[in-house]
Amino acid sequence: MYSPRLPNYLVYMLQSCEYQAMPYLKWLLRVRDFSTVMHRRQLDNTKRAKLLLLALRIGILSEIAIGIVLIILNFALKLPGLWAFGLAIIIAYPLIWPLLVVIPLELARVFIVQPKNQHEIEQAQKIYQSHPAVKIAVAGSYGKTSMKEVLKTVLSEGKKVQATQANHNVAIEHAKLAKKLTGQEEILIIEYGEGAPGDVAKFTNITHPTHGVITGLAPAHLDKYKTVDAAGEDIFSLASYLKNKNVYVNGQSELAAKFLKPSFVRYSNQGVGDWKVENVKLSVNSTSFQLVKDKQILNLKSELLGAHQVGVLSLAAMLAMEFGLTKAQIEQGIAKTKPFEHRMQPYQLSGAWIIDDTYNGNIDGIKAGTALLRQLSAKRKIYVSPGLVDQGKETARVHQEMGQVIAQGQPDMVVLMANSVTEFIKQGLVQAGYKGELIIESDPLAFYQGLEHFVASGDLVLMQNDWPDNYA
Amino acid sequence: MNKIVVAVIFGSRSTEHDVSIITALSSIIKPLELTNKYQVIPIYISKDGVWYSDPRLSDVSLFTSGQIDSLMTKLKPLALQFSDGLNIIKPGLKPKTIKIDVVFPATHGTHGEDGELMGLLEMANVPYVGCDMPSSVLAMDKALAKIITTYHGILTSDFEWFYAQDFKDRPQTILKQLARLNYPLFVKPVHLGSSIAISRVKDSMELKNAIEVAAHYDNKIIVEQAVNNLIEVTVPIIGNDKLTPALVEQPLLKGEDFFDFDTKYMGGGGKKGKSAKGAQGYSKLPAEIPQDLYQKSEQTALAVYRCLGCSGIARVDLLIDTKTKKVYFNEVNPLPGGLYAHNWRQAGKSSVQIVSQLIELAEDKFQQKQKLATSFKTNYLKQY
Repeated sequence: MYSPRLPNYLVYMLQSCEYQAMPYLKWLLRVRDFSTVMHRRQLDNTKRAKLLLLALRIGILSEIAIGIVLIILNFALKLPGLWAFGLAIIIAYPLIWPLLVVIPLELARVFIVQPKNQHEIEQAQKIYQSHPAVKIAVAGSYGKTSMKEVLKTVLSEGKKVQATQANHNVAIEHAKLAKKLTGQEEILIIEYGEGAPGDVAKFTNITHPTHGVITGLAPAHLDKYKTVDAAGEDIFSLASYLKNKNVYVNGQSELAAKFLKPSFVRYSNQGVGDWKVENVKLSVNSTSFQLVKDKQILNLKSELLGAHQVGVLSLAAMLAMEFGLTKAQIEQGIAKTKPFEHRMQPYQLSGAWIIDDTYNGNIDGIKAGTALLRQLSAKRKIYVSPGLVDQGKETARVHQEMGQVIAQGQPDMVVLMANSVTEFIKQGLVQAGYKGELIIESDPLAFYQGLEHFVASGDLVLMQNDWPDNYA
Repeated sequence: MNKIVVAVIFGSRSTEHDVSIITALSSIIKPLELTNKYQVIPIYISKDGVWYSDPRLSDVSLFTSGQIDSLMTKLKPLALQFSDGLNIIKPGLKPKTIKIDVVFPATHGTHGEDGELMGLLEMANVPYVGCDMPSSVLAMDKALAKIITTYHGILTSDFEWFYAQDFKDRPQTILKQLARLNYPLFVKPVHLGSSIAISRVKDSMELKNAIEVAAHYDNKIIVEQAVNNLIEVTVPIIGNDKLTPALVEQPLLKGEDFFDFDTKYMGGGGKKGKSAKGAQGYSKLPAEIPQDLYQKSEQTALAVYRCLGCSGIARVDLLIDTKTKKVYFNEVNPLPGGLYAHNWRQAGKSSVQIVSQLIELAEDKFQQKQKLATSFKTNYLKQY
């Protein structure tokens, strides 16, 4: 608590919580030793972080100085009791500043950031409303960024396409995209990052989509939504906005099934609309298949991994057809699709194949990953995960299911990062009769950094999920 | 559950002191720690032979930055105690005694790999990884190793050996002894590893110079006849009784070259244009040789490993005459640099698997030895 690095720890915690007061305060309540909070990464010295660091240091030093002055005054002016007050002020600084630091942030948010954002969002609303392009909104509990990137890559082969950047998917990011638009774009792809009830409805009112893709429904952000159904209602409000037309839904998402309407087009690894998938071939660094309708055949090969990507690629191909791209353009576009960083991204290490899916954060992604693990052949299969964050009341159930799903992947070794959900995953593994080796790793960072020592030629390692410091 | 305490001993008074540091820190300590099964105690023997132990000695940057020198001025030397096995005593106001369950020697060359350390560990009666004292002595004496393997019918290139002092005292006699060998010849210090002070000579003038160089490093010198139409290969092996070879590996050499220190440890793989650092980039793995020669190499290596009594791990270097298809034994390395982890990984064994297996093999070997009688009842003393 009295470490001179306390300001660094506090700013790191704020930064990890994206300067959100509530997650930061919740984390603060859990911290027993500040020196352990900065474990997974270091403080990113952004302008905001530097400013906060400076303010904290000045504040703490000022408080200590005032305490010292009071103690000196006690003896110089013979004012009894002042020394105790001065000492109390000095001792109290580690209790005061972790809380005090939130106040300027919240004030800035309410009086500066939010009004500025609101203004930009209002401007964006007008831009989107008048823009003539096809506007495809991508919503869902998972797989949104991958879907958006696939659509962008494929459709760009024949159309002028703009899309939201990376996984930047909230209203202010939609506004940033609007600012960049020239009016010449033919297709806009906008990712919707829902986080609380009403978010998707709000996004539709800003971006005025003409088409909607719903990538699936899974327990996510349950701290705000409370139930999966509540999350589903919010996500499927996109379909309501589109009057249930031009809505494309992942047919493999079990939880999304209850929200389906007859007019929705379903996509899956069996096909999309009238197009059927045939001759699927999976490997550790590519996926290939044929998309067949009557006498038309598209031969598609992508660097994306897993059978679950077949549906995504099929939908991109079908939409490309509808928007007038040629067969050659579509095949070329699909060939250019690559895994996004940390999303089923394969690479080789010490002769082994590693599939990095550490950005996955839901049970459906785990099902997709473990299905691929089961299908691929390897001398030794290793599954690595810390578990899923943000599962709310569903935590125990989801992680028991996760254990069962992992067992179905038939790994020779399971490595779990020790945390609050490990026991639930273990229970799931036991329930499914897992017979392989189980390792509980107490130092995840050491494991990830030393991965090269764990693997050898012929090994296949699937690494899923991330457990950032603020969930410790 | 109490973790098994493993002491990794590295450094020592050896020309291969620096190689030992990398072997210990990169290929042994790190994988051992990652298993979560062992409490790893690094024990560093300085270049002047002082023993130290401190958790900071596991950090390779301490050595690469040179900060080890200032740390050694602060650390107090370690004391050893042989009492019911091996104990190390960390000095201080209240000395701390740690009982060592298994020792993992990571020293290369003299005062370590050559059997000296293993002798100490035998006296302490503690399990230790790798070859025992007799096999280490044999393996690290190139002349003795050749004499033993020749006796067992294993082919080696023709050779002579002599003491450095004899060459100084009677050079003509030694040169006469060597005259029966055909050039080109290889001159080697008998006890050194990592190809240090090895020379390839084409005539008697070069021979004299090469012997003087080798005599600078060792008191015993071996001169070997070169193998024609040469392909050099090396075979790492793991096991006590049941042996498992890794892949037959072929160092990438030019016709006139040999497997020298730079090639092994200083990224000499650049010779073939590969931007390799250390052992991983300068060889063909597996060796690109005909299947019959590949199998013959494996068999020869296993035979050498057995007849020298190796255990745990070792690497056998072989020379192949591609025209006659003969495989010659060259030398044995009882503790391959970096455990030859790059080869094992390619063969399908991870570093974590290798170090774990080596600890198990050490414990097995120790248990076997404990079954042997070490006392014999006699009336010998009563007669006095």
